[in-house]
Amino acid sequence: MGLVFTRLFSSLFGNKEARILVLGLDNAGKTTILYRLQMGEVVSTIPTIGFNVETVQYNNIKFQVWDLGGQTSIRPYWRCYFPNTQAIIYVVDSSDTERLVIAKEEFHAILEEDELKGAVVLIFANKQDLPGALDDAAVTESLELHKIKNRQWSIFKTSAIKGEGLFEGLDWLSNTLKSGGG
Amino acid sequence: MFSLFYGLWEYLVSKTEFHVLILGIDKAGKTTLLEKLKTQYSSLEGLPPDRIVPTVGLNIGRIETANSKLVFWDLGGQSGLRSIWEKYYEEAHAVIFVVDASCPSRFEDSKSALEKVLRHEDLQGAPLLVLANKQDHGDAVSAEELARYLDLKKLDERAYTFEGVSGYDGTGIKEIVNWLVDVMERSKRTEMLRVRAGVANSSGA
Repeated sequence: MGLVFTRLFSSLFGNKEARILVLGLDNAGKTTILYRLQMGEVVSTIPTIGFNVETVQYNNIKFQVWDLGGQTSIRPYWRCYFPNTQAIIYVVDSSDTERLVIAKEEFHAILEEDELKGAVVLIFANKQDLPGALDDAAVTESLELHKIKNRQWSIFKTSAIKGEGLFEGLDWLSNTLKSGGG
Repeated sequence: MFSLFYGLWEYLVSKTEFHVLILGIDKAGKTTLLEKLKTQYSSLEGLPPDRIVPTVGLNIGRIETANSKLVFWDLGGQSGLRSIWEKYYEEAHAVIFVVDASCPSRFEDSKSALEKVLRHEDLQGAPLLVLANKQDHGDAVSAEELARYLDLKKLDERAYTFEGVSGYDGTGIKEIVNWLVDVMERSKRTEMLRVRAGVANSSGA
């Protein structure tokens, strides 16, 4: 009986939970984004080997955010975390134009994964504070986002250091997850 | 034997799937329209208008009518992002072009964006539905007036119509879905896309 009330309560007040993976090449800014979202501060980070996981409560959704290390040697382990994921945040260093091709290839490889079929995709064109950073339209072009036809996606210009764009992205994410996603 | 009958059954009851592009300049109301479509035609509750933010990317809505499935692709309309529209043309069965009918100062912008869409060869023969949106605003012009403003040339090669709607209160939504399903079922383009998909499948097998 208590269980029924709990369910009713949480459906009325909408405390949804969502599992989010933050992916991207090394040095894209994933960990800085995670802690900016969680604590609202810039922390100094070291390259992640393994993962960081934090819960971020926003817009009545409890986001369980997994930040996975992005170095070449450990990217194959990303897939261990794919099951039950509702959304992917793909982070790109918009000023690292030389590696955008690799970023694109990794990105499309992720989208091929069966276990991520239903996940919506949010792209952060990060490091907008750096000179020479490409804007959202240019990053869209480089990542060939137009190849995505069967799931919802959105791109935001962000600067994790300045705290810009991140919560706009989460707004989109929470709206999309609430209205059925995918 | 069973699988043969099952296959036949599947074939008979399967609904055709149509892809419909929702285009238009920013602030025309494309996503609001999409959410209304979702609310009226699927079990999902679409987002209320006040929660909708400018689209920078792709929103998708899937609805079903009596004998077809419609997949709507709603693409962001800000000028820097319009370059991705054409990447979706090839697979589209029809196009909805949304115009904010209460904002005449941007009709010119809409007109040139729409003319560019119509010139693209990947959209040849695709049925076109131009919406004079935001009819809930008192100062919105009617569909006929909008047609006069836009003054489109060379439309005769495709099925087209102008409709007044409101994505906000839902006026006209049923009519446009009916129109779309009706023309897409009969259009040469649907036939062309079906043949192309068939060729792709058999060569892939």
